[in-house]
Parts: sequence; C-alpha cells; structure tokens
Amino acid sequence: MLFTLPYPLLTIFLLLFIGGCQPEPYSQGEVLYKYHCENCHMEDGSGLGKLIPHLDSSRLTLSDPAKLVCLIHNGLPVNKLTGQKMPANLKLNEVEMTNLVNFLGSKYAANPQTVIVTDIKKMLAGCQTD
Amino acid sequence: MTNILRFAGLALISFLLLTGCGNEPQRLPYLGNVEIKGADTVYHTVPDITLTDQDSQTYRISTLNNKIILADFFFTSCPSICPKVKKQMLRLYDRYKDDDRVVMISHTIDQRHDSVAVLNRYAHNLGVDTDKWKFVTGEKDSIFYLADRYFVSVIEDPLAPAGFDHSGRIILVDKARRVRGFCEGTDPESVTAFFETVDKLLKDEYQ
Ligand code: HEC
Repeated sequence: MLFTLPYPLLTIFLLLFIGGCQPEPYSQGEVLYKYHCENCHMEDGSGLGKLIPHLDSSRLTLSDPAKLVCLIHNGLPVNKLTGQKMPANLKLNEVEMTNLVNFLGSKYAANPQTVIVTDIKKMLAGCQTD
Repeated sequence: MTNILRFAGLALISFLLLTGCGNEPQRLPYLGNVEIKGADTVYHTVPDITLTDQDSQTYRISTLNNKIILADFFFTSCPSICPKVKKQMLRLYDRYKDDDRVVMISHTIDQRHDSVAVLNRYAHNLGVDTDKWKFVTGEKDSIFYLADRYFVSVIEDPLAPAGFDHSGRIILVDKARRVRGFCEGTDPESVTAFFETVDKLLKDEYQ
C-alpha cells in the first residue's frame, strides 16, 4: 500500500519527481538566443576576438532591459575600428523579446531585472529607430 | 581437447593478423579523383593561383616552403556561420601556433567589399599573427575555382544572408597541394576529431 510508506520518504519522492520535471528557467529564451544571437556571440557568449564582444563585457547593457531591447531591435551600426556591425532584429515578437531579455538577464546581468510583456511593449515604443 | 587446440590456433592467427596491421600506420586518404597515367599516379590538387594577403603581399601556395595548409572560405561581413567557423579556426591556430610546418589561409569570397585594408583590419581585430594565419583575396573567378577544388561550395545568391551561400568546411592540404581531410567548422566536435587528422598528416609528411 502506498499509504504505508513513511511520509519523509514520500516527500523525497515527490521532490525528486517535481525537480526532474521542472524546465530550465527561461528555456524559450535560451532557444531564441541559439537561433538569433549564437552565430555571432557563440554558445558561451564569448564572441570573437575584438570583432564581436564577449557578452560578459556588457553587463551594463544587459542589466538594463530597456537598453537591451532597443539594442536587439535596432542593432548597431558598423564599428569603424572593427568593420563589424550588429544587424537589427525585427523578427522577434513581444513575447519572444520578453523571454530572450529575461534569459540574457539571468545569465549575464549583474542585477537581473525580470520583465513582462507589457514592459517590453513600452520599451519597444520608446526605442528611437533610424 | 581438439576444441581447445583449435581455439588456441585461431587466437594465435588473430593475434598475428592484428599486430601485423598495427605495424603499418594507416595513411590518410587522398580526396578526389586519383588517375593512373602510365607509371604515374595523378592526384587531385588545389590550383597554385596567385593570392594577395592582408599586407598586399602576393604569393602562391607553392612558395610557402613545404608547409601543410589549413584553409577556409569566408567574408568579413558574413552574418551567418563565419564567426563560428573562425572560432574553430582559432582553436586550430592555438594548437599549431608554434608549429612552423603549418600555415592557415582564410580566403575571402567577397572581392568587392573585402579589400586588403579590410582583411588587414579583420585579422588585427581577431588578434592573430598573420605570418601564421593569412587572410587572402584574389581574382574572383580564380578564388571560386579554388574553392571548388578545395571541395567547398560557394554560391553567390542574392537571397542568402549578405548575398553568399557557402559551406563552413576547414580543409587540410598536404605539401604537394593534395586534399587530405576536412571538418565542419560549425561543429566543435568535428574539429576536435580533426586535430588527430592534422597530427597524422604531420607525422606522415615530416618523418
Ligand atoms: C551578425 C552578428 C551578430 C548577431 C546575429 C548579434 N550580434 Fe550582438 N553584436 C555584434 C557585434 C559585431 C557587436 C559589437 C558592435 C560594435 O563593436 O559596435 C555586438 C554587440 C552586442 C552587445 C554589446 C552592446 C554594448 O554596447 O555593450 C550585446 C549585449 C549584444 N550584441 C547582444 C546581442 C543579442 C542579444 C543578439 C541576438 C538577439 C545579438 N547580439 C545578435 C554582432 C551580432
């Protein structure tokens, strides 16, 4: 009989069960990173020499969701020193942008701030486009 | 009893066969068509075209002083696979940096944009020694033909990211310009396995 199992043991089982099924936090964000950013910034965020920056080196941008959203949305113009640019990404919808920003924050930001879709909408509206 | 004898005999034969093969180090294959012309065997080679490097020096592979070559094809404004391939080329660079028998050549396929100055800036920002790792351009048709002989597909395609579709292979060529191996520069595991291929060629070519 199941009910004859001692309670502590049952609790351990339950914990293991729930723990095993818990998805990685921000797993959609991780998938989006792979698809939209990893070609340049690499799986571990390490970039490429001075051509593409290590994401660790831009903790400030990554800590500020509003800046990050506009950076992803608008990209960066050609850097005269390296000849490299970051292309604008207009393919991400607001939900995807939310998940990506939360994933990046959790991974690289000094003080991660969690955002929700309504925040992202406001931030996108606030980006200056050229 | 006879069974045991038979088994022992079989074991002995297998042992001899196995150790016999072990003595003959396996050579890397020659990729491409091999033709027998009379007494000569003619291998597939990459053409010895004139290349211009990031310092405006022109040279041919045949003047590289008997080095083996690790080659790839890319362009500096490539938004797709190139950075990942370069990251893997960097792993090869780190491994063979101090080995004078190895030279690395990255060929641009975007002759219009990637001038000598652009290649120079790229190499500089990648942070590598250009005596070891050259970034070259050349006449467009020659480079595309060269890529083809390296078994790398390069297609100018207005629909592809930034106008080119190409494979991210890294190719190994021996001292006689014969293709001896390759890996997929987009796949770190393929590159790790490739280390052994390169080491094997070094052993074969410099005894
Ligand atoms: C085609 C290559 C490419 C892609 C794809 C790309 N980036 Fe970048 N990214 C760059 C380059 C190049 C720079 C540096 C530009 C410069 O030097 O001004 C950069 C800079 C950055 C920075 C640092 C900005 C700063 O000011 O500190 C961050 C953060 C960043 N990218 C995040 C992302 C994210 C997130 C994605 C995916 C949505 C992404 N990048 C996609 C090439 C790329």
